[in-house]
Amino acid sequence: MILNGQVQDIPEEWANEPLLYLLREHFDLKGAKFGCGVGICGACTVIVDGIATRSCITNAGDVEGAEVRTIEGLANDDVLHPVQQAWLDQSVPQCGYCQAGQIMSAVALLEQTPRPTEDDVDAAMDGNLCRCGTYGRIRAAIMQASETVR
Amino acid sequence: MNRRGFLKAAAGGLVVLIGAGVGVYSQVPVIPNRPEPDPETALGWISYADGRYRLTLPRAEMGQNIATGLKQIACAELGADWDTVEVGFHDTTAPAVKATVGSESIMLFAEPLAQACASLRDAIDQGRDLGEVTLVTRPVSELRSLQKGGLIGASPGIEQGMGIVTGQPLYAADVTRPDMLYGRVLHAPASVEVGSRPLRWNTAAAQAVPGFVALVEDTGPSIGQSEGLGIVATRPGALDAIAQALAVEWQIDGDHARADVMSAIDVDTHLAGGALRHTVRDDDPAPGRWDVDLRIDVPLAAHGPIEPRAAVAEWADGTLRVWAGTQDAFYVRDVLSSAFGLDPDAVVVQTARNGGAFGGRVICTVEAEAAALARAVGTPVKIQWTRAQEFALGYHRPPASHRVKARIVDGKLTDWNHAQVSSHIFFTSGVVPQWMQRATDRFAGDDGVARGMAAPYQVGRAKVSYDVVRLPVHTASWRGLGAGPNALAIESAMDEAGLAAGVDPLDFRLAHIDDPLLAGVLNRVAELSSWGAVSGEGQNGVRQGRGIAAGVYKKTSYAAAVADVSVDRRGNVQVDRMWCVHDCGLVMNPDQVRAQCEGNLVWGLGMILTDDLPLADGHVVAETFGDAPIPSSTQVPPMVIDLLESDRPPQGAGETAIVAGPGAIANAVRAATGIRPQRFPITRASLVL
Ligand code: FES
Ligand code: FES
Repeated sequence: MILNGQVQDIPEEWANEPLLYLLREHFDLKGAKFGCGVGICGACTVIVDGIATRSCITNAGDVEGAEVRTIEGLANDDVLHPVQQAWLDQSVPQCGYCQAGQIMSAVALLEQTPRPTEDDVDAAMDGNLCRCGTYGRIRAAIMQASETVR
Repeated sequence: MNRRGFLKAAAGGLVVLIGAGVGVYSQVPVIPNRPEPDPETALGWISYADGRYRLTLPRAEMGQNIATGLKQIACAELGADWDTVEVGFHDTTAPAVKATVGSESIMLFAEPLAQACASLRDAIDQGRDLGEVTLVTRPVSELRSLQKGGLIGASPGIEQGMGIVTGQPLYAADVTRPDMLYGRVLHAPASVEVGSRPLRWNTAAAQAVPGFVALVEDTGPSIGQSEGLGIVATRPGALDAIAQALAVEWQIDGDHARADVMSAIDVDTHLAGGALRHTVRDDDPAPGRWDVDLRIDVPLAAHGPIEPRAAVAEWADGTLRVWAGTQDAFYVRDVLSSAFGLDPDAVVVQTARNGGAFGGRVICTVEAEAAALARAVGTPVKIQWTRAQEFALGYHRPPASHRVKARIVDGKLTDWNHAQVSSHIFFTSGVVPQWMQRATDRFAGDDGVARGMAAPYQVGRAKVSYDVVRLPVHTASWRGLGAGPNALAIESAMDEAGLAAGVDPLDFRLAHIDDPLLAGVLNRVAELSSWGAVSGEGQNGVRQGRGIAAGVYKKTSYAAAVADVSVDRRGNVQVDRMWCVHDCGLVMNPDQVRAQCEGNLVWGLGMILTDDLPLADGHVVAETFGDAPIPSSTQVPPMVIDLLESDRPPQGAGETAIVAGPGAIANAVRAATGIRPQRFPITRASLVL
């Protein structure tokens, strides 16, 4: 697979693990989080071939040959991705645990729909839960980023 | 207790069966005993070398962004640049501090930190760069960080914000240690207050699962009465398969006597049996007919943090090191040292950022499991609870059943009677063993349940009483403790009383307030929301309504809220907009106080529309957020927040607005539909046209 721009092998013994654990425990990329393990909360979201994907219910072996992007690969050296920057400008995170997943869902949304409507945002983001209740700021940050991404 | 079990390296380096039988753990609870923060202790939180400062955070960071708030205080007092102060999270080698609970981190810790920083600043000004600083306390008026201006009242970028948006390892489950393995402790599908233990299991099938390392029988102290069976694997994904292959048969000691929890706490049943045992206030309301007579019920609710709790444990030379996302590292340390027979100094608990806590992480559970499994396999072990374990093994907001009655004469409340039955918050069965419950329950009430039960209004002659019942599910602290549900009951009754008196809800409240700060937040939220009735019917039978509520948290922190809702023909409630005004005295960081209001309003929305935790036969059967939902993005409305800064020292902000948001939404639903919501979360069926 291509992981954050680099070709990586998926070791045999990890092929039947959820992609989430391959990323976190084998590649030591701790950004994607375990929240529910069944695809409901979105904390584990990464981008596979351009699509926001729940890595907790994706078999590691199934991403062979695919392009996988995680939050660790978003910034360009020291320059943050506009979505990351918007998240900081709006002080979105409270506990922060859901935010890697929120950010990856937002990045995928803006790549497909650079000028999202409220309905587009609802459709893309409603599967990402935040118990701290940062939803209003997430919307504001997505709107800010969509200005920059254009 | 120093069982090492029988560790055998099998071919391929895998280890199979460890230990025989279960350890015997003390049934005497560890009593938290730690000092209030003082300036002398605070000297241990801040240090200086080579032009740089290090602030060791004396609080747990769990999303209240207290790292940012306390860093503002340190920078302001020291006169230090933001980038010269590095913030670290404490471990238990730091001076002992209280649990991070009760919205106290600014209220109690700001001044000691400011005093310590002022003394350090003096020492540096005198040219010292080595040795210990002597504390010289000064009047609060001379502490720069407790006056508005500069960084105080500003909103700098949040500490660790960069780490969060770039995916750096900040949480307990992000910790990796050399040769670390992954563990889980399985429990019976039964009430944690009924004895249960593993009886038989299929070792051979488990061994056949790739990644299997060990079965561990001694899994540390039980959770309630539930004894577990440990499994260890080389990869976390193998744990599910191993658990399934094991097919553990459990021995369960019968049913819990109060398996039907809502019946067990039914307030009317208890009142029919006589007065409730604990009294908050009694000035003998007159008997007779009541104008308002409301029953309000809230169910069990989980905290539902997105991060299931996690810990990594590592043993070396008879010492134990644990990484944990906890609200109380010192308590965890004390429990571990007692359970594993270690000197307290031989246990170090390192705190990590909590992925949400909300009162749910003040006892020791996953940390002891990780320690037991790591001891058995002789290598570090990481455990992160599954979502189902969070629901089944954690403790929860107790269910509560309220009866509130009010009498009105000439537009004024003359008599009030509020009775409640709930379950324990402070004396949770999660730490008070059954033998001790019998003694404590006879005499002690539970101030957590009673929190906020005395109405903040002039309600005339009032009786306020409650009782607490031990349940098959563990209950304890949840954001705001009893204050949220208590305020919901009070605000529902106030609303009905206003309606009965024929007075506008805002005017009715103001007519019963003698506290200018409470009147202040109400007046301001009315102004912000252009208060006035908006009830009416829109298109397609959508009913619209507006509600208001207010309250005081821990007697010093004020909030008022207004909500607009729409209810469609099928009974779906959408909250369209919310306004909230909060007064917590001097504000260090307005943006983060606002964030806490936003969070509390979402929690308030959850209390009215989503929060529930399904049980069957006295044990939790919810396994996913599908079974125990929390508010989602599309349920949450735009919010307008305003902060009033009365001329007072800083008060708590993390739980206050939960006393206002739920009442505002419930009252808006009443205004829209004419139906008083009495059982929460509201069901569609109750509001269908
Ligand atoms: S952990 Fe993958 S969706 Fe919740
Ligand atoms: S910021 Fe805490 S869960 Fe979203």
